Amino acid sequence: MSENIMILMLSVSTFLGALGLIALLWGVKSGQFDDHSKFLDAARYDNEEDLRDAAMMEEKKKARKKQKKEKGMPPD
Amino acid sequence: MAKIPCAHCNLKFDEKMMITEQDGEKTLHFCCKGCQGVYHLLQKEGLDSFYEKLGSTALQPAENQTDDLEKFDLEGFAKKYITIHEDGINEINLIIEGIHCSACVWLNEKVLHKTDGIIEAVINYSNHKAKILWDPDIIKLSQIIHTIRSIGYNAYPYDPKLQEERAVKTRKAYYSRILVGVFSTMNIMWIAIAQYAGYSTGIEQGFKDILNFAEFLLATPVLFYSGWIFFRGAYYGYKNRMVNMDALVASGALLAYIYSIYAMTTRTGEVYFDSVAMIITFVLVGKYLEVLSKKQAVDTLDTLMGSTPTEVTLVKEGVKSLVSVENVVAGDLIELKPGEKVVIDGVITSGQASFDESSLSGESEPVYKKEGEDILSGSICLDAALRYEATKDASHSLLHSIVKLLEESITKKPKIEQLANEISGYFSGVILLIALGTFAGWYLYGGEFEQALIISISVIVIACPCALGLATPMSTLVGISMAAKRGILFKEATFLETMAKSNLLALDKTGTITEGKPSVVNAEMFEGFDPDLLYSLVRTSNHPISQGIAAYLEASCETLRELPLEKIKSIEAKGIQALYQGSMLRGGNLMFMQNVQINAAYESRHSLFFFAINDVLVARFELSDTIRENAAKAIEQIKAMGIKVVMLTGDHERSARHVAKAVGIDEIYAKLLPTDKADLIDLFHQKGHIVVMAGDGINDTLALSKADIAIAMGSGADIAIGVSDVVLMDEKPQSIYEAYAISRRTFRAVKENLAFSLLYNAVAVPLAVTGFVNPLVAALSMSLSSLVVVGNSVRIKMMKLKGF
Repeated sequence: MSENIMILMLSVSTFLGALGLIALLWGVKSGQFDDHSKFLDAARYDNEEDLRDAAMMEEKKKARKKQKKEKGMPPD
Repeated sequence: MAKIPCAHCNLKFDEKMMITEQDGEKTLHFCCKGCQGVYHLLQKEGLDSFYEKLGSTALQPAENQTDDLEKFDLEGFAKKYITIHEDGINEINLIIEGIHCSACVWLNEKVLHKTDGIIEAVINYSNHKAKILWDPDIIKLSQIIHTIRSIGYNAYPYDPKLQEERAVKTRKAYYSRILVGVFSTMNIMWIAIAQYAGYSTGIEQGFKDILNFAEFLLATPVLFYSGWIFFRGAYYGYKNRMVNMDALVASGALLAYIYSIYAMTTRTGEVYFDSVAMIITFVLVGKYLEVLSKKQAVDTLDTLMGSTPTEVTLVKEGVKSLVSVENVVAGDLIELKPGEKVVIDGVITSGQASFDESSLSGESEPVYKKEGEDILSGSICLDAALRYEATKDASHSLLHSIVKLLEESITKKPKIEQLANEISGYFSGVILLIALGTFAGWYLYGGEFEQALIISISVIVIACPCALGLATPMSTLVGISMAAKRGILFKEATFLETMAKSNLLALDKTGTITEGKPSVVNAEMFEGFDPDLLYSLVRTSNHPISQGIAAYLEASCETLRELPLEKIKSIEAKGIQALYQGSMLRGGNLMFMQNVQINAAYESRHSLFFFAINDVLVARFELSDTIRENAAKAIEQIKAMGIKVVMLTGDHERSARHVAKAVGIDEIYAKLLPTDKADLIDLFHQKGHIVVMAGDGINDTLALSKADIAIAMGSGADIAIGVSDVVLMDEKPQSIYEAYAISRRTFRAVKENLAFSLLYNAVAVPLAVTGFVNPLVAALSMSLSSLVVVGNSVRIKMMKLKGF
């Protein structure tokens, strides 16, 4: 086994692990694990309707932003 | 009679008493109008899949709504609870009442999402807290609250700025740091295995360099990101002229790290990156568990705090208006409704009522007050509406001044826990000195700078990390988790140590030694007594005495029915009366009986309750605050540990003496005001005692905050829980004994661990100083010494508590 192979193995495996870690840290930061029971329920109750709901909420937010812009409110 | 579950809330009732309704082929049963309304609302909105998700979980019946919605749109309320975002969106934090399962969370979120103008609604299942963002141009807060109420839940606001936001933030920060630590440590460990193997079988320098460098890359974030907390702690310690545990962990890890970089670059000796990562991660996990237990206490506190009113009904020139408490000035006329909490001190101008002053005096028995008498903030008006004139503004009222005093005393709390790190503090100082001396010695006499540096660093490396670093956190961790399993929540690990050193226990009487609510101690029934009638009568009142009677009847009679009563009337501070099928039911105290010309004369040192049907006395009850089960035994065992037990109470001397005698306390202090109790604690301090105080009410909070360790009962007043260091969830007196026993056992384990690691160091350090340390031996002995410490700590779990 050459030294280069070892460097490659170490760096690739650590890099892949680090990707997982970064994803986890992002999840913690954005509050996805704040409520552990809901985290599990999300899997239980997941269906098309809930997806539509989530999309609707996004729409609402967008609509509001747009409305503010149209009204010509200062970008505070 | 068949019991049938209500179609909405699933609670089971007799079929006869339920509202039935034909819906197509199905017959629906409802327990009340509220449930019926919610059921139809959900059907109409197409949200009936809620019931599938609900399964067989029982909810509390939907109540008919109270009419206080307008208060949510008042300015004072908005200022206190609503945050306005930059883009004009409002945010509020609510606690939702009545959530029983995840289906309830689902329903609430769903309904809120469907409401126009609500931009975000997130509900936390475990603590029922909701964060709602909405557009004030489209919807008002009162409408949002109305929406939540219309589906059978209730919501009230809380101020997250108090503690929660901070607690959540620290928790998240710790969590991220631990994730990084665990990830890196795991990876370093498998690289280290190759290193160890290489050490015993030989390894080419080239491979060793690669492994070293990989470990270096992984250890760096652990030391500087995860270990940041220790550097910060060491810095604060340094500012206070203290060498603390954090300093030891930080300096040890940092020096091992620097040494390893040196060894790596010069290719001399072994690297210690694995120990760097391991010690930081382990000690960090220990600290994190402390933060977690603190968070739980904050949650309960917020739930209780949210119910204090922010507005009062002001009467000005005959016009009633809701006004924020901050805007009330002395001289204003305020109207008080039954069930309301007084927030401003004043004098009654018209009307009379009973007041529950339990949060001030600790006594559960209500106080009757009439025109011209003072009422104090913090008390609750029980049975009648009245008007009073404010004598102080909100910030000078009793409730607020107590809160303010508390805030001050919390920041000035005596810090015995600072002594906790004493031994380890001295130790780390000594080790640093020895290392310095070793360096000087080898440099001066050996002459070689490099060798002197390696040896002195190896002294620190072998001496400090695991064993000593883990000695305290490991044992306190086991101690805390053991206490938590028994319903004793220690808010911080250091409190175990302070409690173990304590030699005086001050107990509050009402609510701590006794139950805090009256229960029947003696009952006599005469001819014509019907438990159903009495039960129906007392159920109409929420007076503590009535509740005591109801509880007694529920316990002693198997079949109780609530009968429909008419013309229910509660007579202030005397009793209740009602009509049932033409016969007059009366229940109340002696004065009430005399007023209606019933001869009921009876002498007792307990509270009395008489029950008469058609002016004939049919039952007499004696009620008294009962002493908690096993209180005497627990106090006896605490005394056997060599701890002095005293009783502090706001009650009068006679009943205090009676209770003290029953539980075996010799020293009592009666008729104390909240400030007197606090002064007494100070006095004990001056006499050199380390004081543990157990209490439950607002009247105890000042004293609690002065005591070295404050123990609060889980159901006690919100502020009492806030200032306390230990919370007893099951409220049993033996939990106090158990808390003592566990903390003493834990402290013993800490001392053993420290003694062991000092012994280990006494052997290892001289070897290191003289330059005999072989890297493999150092690594092995380090791991072994930490294993011994962990093992000894786990031994705490095997302790036996005296059973009851």
